[in-house]
Amino acid sequence: MQRTIQYRWRLLAAAGLVSLAAAGCTDSGDDESSPSDASGATGTEGGDDEQVVRTDVTSKGEGCTLEQYGAEPLDLTDAVVGFSQSEPDTAAFRAAETKSIREAAEQVGVKELLVTNANNELPKQISDIQDMLNQGAQFLIVAPVNSDGLDPALAAAKEAGVPVLTIDRKVTNEPCSDYIAFLGSDFYQQGQRAADAMNEATGGEGQVAILLGSSGNNVTDNRNAGFKDQVEERYPGLEIVAEQTANFARDEGQTVTEQLLQSNSEITAIYAHNDEMGLGAVTAVEAAGKAPGDDIKIVSIDGTRNAVQAIVDGQINAVIESNPRFGPLAFETAQKFYDGEAIPEDVIIEDDEYNSENAQENLDKAF
Amino acid sequence: MADAGPARVPTLEAIDEKFGPPEQTDQPSGYFRRMVDADWLRRNGVYATLALLIGVNVVITDNFVSSNTLRLQLVQVAPVLIVALGMALVIGTEGIDLSVGATIALAAAIIPLYIGYGAPGAIGLALFAGVVTGSFAGLLVAGVGVQPIVATLGIMVAGRGVANLLGGEIKSIRDPAIVSLGTDSVAGVPYVVVIAGAVSLVVWGVVRHSTYGRQLVAIGGNKRAAELAGLPVKRVLATTYVVSGVLAALAGVLLAARSRASDPTKIGLLMELAAITAVVVGGTPLSGGQVRIVGTIAGALLIQIIGATLIAHDIPDSTAQMVQAVIVVAAVYVQLGVRRANR
Repeated sequence: MQRTIQYRWRLLAAAGLVSLAAAGCTDSGDDESSPSDASGATGTEGGDDEQVVRTDVTSKGEGCTLEQYGAEPLDLTDAVVGFSQSEPDTAAFRAAETKSIREAAEQVGVKELLVTNANNELPKQISDIQDMLNQGAQFLIVAPVNSDGLDPALAAAKEAGVPVLTIDRKVTNEPCSDYIAFLGSDFYQQGQRAADAMNEATGGEGQVAILLGSSGNNVTDNRNAGFKDQVEERYPGLEIVAEQTANFARDEGQTVTEQLLQSNSEITAIYAHNDEMGLGAVTAVEAAGKAPGDDIKIVSIDGTRNAVQAIVDGQINAVIESNPRFGPLAFETAQKFYDGEAIPEDVIIEDDEYNSENAQENLDKAF
Repeated sequence: MADAGPARVPTLEAIDEKFGPPEQTDQPSGYFRRMVDADWLRRNGVYATLALLIGVNVVITDNFVSSNTLRLQLVQVAPVLIVALGMALVIGTEGIDLSVGATIALAAAIIPLYIGYGAPGAIGLALFAGVVTGSFAGLLVAGVGVQPIVATLGIMVAGRGVANLLGGEIKSIRDPAIVSLGTDSVAGVPYVVVIAGAVSLVVWGVVRHSTYGRQLVAIGGNKRAAELAGLPVKRVLATTYVVSGVLAALAGVLLAARSRASDPTKIGLLMELAAITAVVVGGTPLSGGQVRIVGTIAGALLIQIIGATLIAHDIPDSTAQMVQAVIVVAAVYVQLGVRRANR
C-alpha cells in the first residue's frame, strides 16, 4: 500500500508543490496493461492465438465503406503503412501488440511499415502521427494513448486523405469520418467473465476485494462495472468488501493487498483488473502466511505468461484473456475496407479464459 | 532564503511600514499565532498529528493494535523513509533532488540483470548506480552551478530512460538471497526495517554530530557566508547529492527485493514527490539551513498511516487524494506562518 499511498501522495504533492508538478505529468496513468515476463524469448510466438471476431454482437449502423469514408483506393502491398503505438514496449501487452503488427505487415507484404511509440504521452502521439503522414504514410493503425484528445492528429490524417484504424482503445471521435472503425476487446464483458470465473473459483461464497486499475481510465471503469453488475445480478453469495486503486502495477498490487488483508481478515478472494496487480496480490497473500489460489482466490485479466504460469502453479485461479495480437485482424480489416466491404464501427474480438484445466496446455498462447 | 543582506534587502517590517501591512494574508497567521504558537506547531505539529492519527485508528480500525500492523507499516514505509532521509539532507542545503525515482528504477533494473554475479555483487552494482547519478547531480549543481531543480530534473528524465533501456520488460527476481532480504526478519524485525532504522540513526548522527552535518546546514542557511567563511561548499554540496543517490539506490534494491520483481517503467515513479512531502511535512523548511531527521521519520510515518487508514476503510481514491491535499497545504501554511512570525 505504501506505494499506492505514495502515488496518491505524490499526485497531490504535485498539486501542492506546483513547481515540481512537471515531474508527474509524463505519466498519464492511462496504461491499459502491464509488463510481464522478461524471461524472454518465449511468449513471442505471435501467431499462436490469433484474434477472432465475435459474431454475437450486432454492429451498429450499416458499417463504413471506402466510398462513405471518402478515401482513395489503395493496394496494401504497395503502400506505406504507419503504426502509432501508445505505450512503451516494456509492457508485455504492448510488446505483443507491436510484434503482431510488424509480423502481419510483413506477411501482407506492405512496401514499408513505419512504427512510432508515444511513450504514453498524448502530445507525442499527435506529433508521431503527423510525422508519419509527412513521411508518406498512406494508411494508419493507431493504438490511442487516450480516448480523447487525438483530434489534431485525426484531422491531419483526414486532410491528407489517409484512413485511420484504431485498435485496443476506442476514441470518442466520429467513426467513418475521423476514423474507420475500432478493433478491440469488450472490457465490460471481460469484467463479467471475471465474475463468472470468481464464482467458479469460490464456489459462489466469498468476500471479494477488487484491485482497481488507474483512475479515469475506461479499461478500469468497464472491467469494474462488468464485474460488479454481474455479481449483483447472478452471484448473491459474493460480497464486494473493498475496492482500492493499485494503478495496474505489480508492486502496488502487493502493497495494497497487504494492507487489505491486514485490516480485513475476512477477505477470501481478490479480483485484479490486470495480471500484474494479480501477481502482486500473490506475493502479498504469501507474505501474510496464506496460500494464494487456495485460502485466497485470485482472478485477473490479460493473459500474460507470468500469470498463466501462476495458474499452473496453483497460485492464481483464473485469468480472462485480453488478446493483444491485433496484426492479422487489423490488416484483414484494412483489406476488406479497400475491397469495398462495409466495416462495422466496433469490431469486437473474442477473448479466451485460462483456468486450472487449460492453463498448462495453453501456456504458449500467453504473451 | 534570501534573507541575507539587511543593508540592501528591505526587511518585511520596512516594507510593511512603507506600504502598510498585507492585511489579508497576515491576519490568519496572526490569529493562528495567538491560538497556538506557530513555531511550536511547525516543530511538533507532525508528532501531534501522528499521535492523533494513531489514536483514532486504535479506536476505529479493526486489527490496528497488533504487531502485524506495526510490522507491515514499518516494512512499507522503509523505502520512502530512506529516500526521504537523503532528500532531507539535500533540502537542508537549499537544494532539491528530483532524480531519486529514476535512481530507484536504475538500481532495481540492475538487480535482475547482474544477479549472475551473486546477490552481493548485484546489490553493490545497484548502489554504485546511485553513486553515479548522485555524482552527476553533484557535478552539475556544485561544479557547473546549475540550479538543483533543473539539474536533477534532467537526470530524472534521462535516468528513467536508461533504466527502461537496460531493464526492458518487468523481470521477476527469484534469487533466494534477494527474496530473503525483502521477506525475512531478524529477531522478529524484518531486514528492510532494520536497514531503514540503521540508516536513520546514521543520518541523524551525521547531521547532529559531524563536521559535514554542520557545514551542510551552514551552507543551506547562507551559501555566500559559508563560502566567505572558507567552508568547502562545493565538496559538501556534491557529497550530499551522492548520499541522496546512494540512499535512493538502496531504496530501489529494497523495493525490488520486496516485490520480487523489477519494473523499470513503474518502480519509484513519483517517489521524489513522496520524499519531499515527508520532509516538508516533517518540518524541514524548503528554504534550507535546517534538517529535521526525526521530523522526517514522523512525516514519512504520517503519510504511511494516512494511506493505511484510507485503505482499511475503503475510501475511494479521489477522496483520499483530497484528504492528503489538505495535509500538505496545512504543512506549507504552517511553515509560511512561522517565517512571517520570525521576521
